Amino acid sequence: MQSKTSADKVTELKDCIARIVSHGDKDAFSTLFDHYAPLIRAYSLAREPGANLIADELAQEVLIRVWLKAGSYNSQLSNINTWIFTLARNCRIDYFRRNGRYVSDIDPTEIFNNIEDESPGPFQLAHQITHQNRLEENIKTGLAKLPREQSEVLTKVYLEGKSHQQTSTELKLPLGTVKSRVRLALRKLQVLVTR
Amino acid sequence: MNTLKNHPEDELLAAYAAASLPLSQALCISVHLEHCSICTQNLRRLNQLGSELMQNLQPAPPSPELKHSLLNQIDQMSVNEAANETVTSQTNTSNQPLPRCLHQFIKTGYKDIPWKRLSRDIHSHELCRGQNNAKVELLRIKPGGTAGTHTHMGDEYTVILEGSFSDESGLYRQGDFLVRDSRHKHTPVATIDKECICLTVTEAPIQLTGFFGLLLNPLIRRSYA
Repeated sequence: MQSKTSADKVTELKDCIARIVSHGDKDAFSTLFDHYAPLIRAYSLAREPGANLIADELAQEVLIRVWLKAGSYNSQLSNINTWIFTLARNCRIDYFRRNGRYVSDIDPTEIFNNIEDESPGPFQLAHQITHQNRLEENIKTGLAKLPREQSEVLTKVYLEGKSHQQTSTELKLPLGTVKSRVRLALRKLQVLVTR
Repeated sequence: MNTLKNHPEDELLAAYAAASLPLSQALCISVHLEHCSICTQNLRRLNQLGSELMQNLQPAPPSPELKHSLLNQIDQMSVNEAANETVTSQTNTSNQPLPRCLHQFIKTGYKDIPWKRLSRDIHSHELCRGQNNAKVELLRIKPGGTAGTHTHMGDEYTVILEGSFSDESGLYRQGDFLVRDSRHKHTPVATIDKECICLTVTEAPIQLTGFFGLLLNPLIRRSYA
């Protein structure tokens, strides 16, 4: 797996999606499983360390969605890794709500499913794809160089699913410091377009 | 569509992309996103950051049984099922006047809501409570009406659904998103052309500071309890 460059790997994985759509190819699905199940499990374990059963369940759920929704994935316009991330994020938040982790009447699927499909939204322009590839490079190289204190808050927020308040408590930092570290990291990685 | 001036802060949008934001706040941002092309674009970019962070995790391979059980499960599903899924997920619902993320609370329109009178100028309708008992409600301010000068004990998140209002800091229109906290004292006034409907999330009861505020405070506290 590591012997291939990541661009080749992505092409191979995208091709697997296409094979699922065209003829329900189980081998293609198996390749996707081999690549993504360990990552999805790691994503689940980041939030719930040691909870291997939850991690299995999340991996299953995400990959079933991949099987069912392969047709709505637009390989030309979006990054497959990002698509998988949004599916995993949505499944994870949904899982925790179903299991009573959130004391709230709000249904997260109504919020996040809106933004689940990486198919071109009404605002998506073709030239953004070039930007997308450049962004991917920026983020990859930028993450490696990010000061530890900034990557630490990104890990808390994105992978461990901690709110700013929880992050502030756990790292014993003022809330404002947590927010400004996230902001600085985003700026350094050049993630956002200016408004 | 691109004229909005009031957006969620960068770190708030990032927390939304990470789904680590309290759901009540995520609801407000979700409404804003339906109106804002720039934040939608930024959200995609923040999703890409999430995906890179996920790729950097140490992989945690499952046991071989997991794959077998999953392959068995998809054997039970027909390819047709996948085709159906495609159709439903591409159904366009964007022409409906209500924000999609509010469909879980409002089925028809703002007119059919059992509004509760809060003052001469304001009606409210509580949708639900979020984490930490945050109050999620709709406010309807009549044309030219005021919500009263108030400060907040906790943060207040507001997104405008219809109409517009102004306060000391500016004019807010449909889709605009703003956060007010205990440092702000503000007096929102709806513009006179039409009523203003907002979605607000309040983490703790707001504190009215004007003369009428003093009269209203006990009422508000009671309605919050």
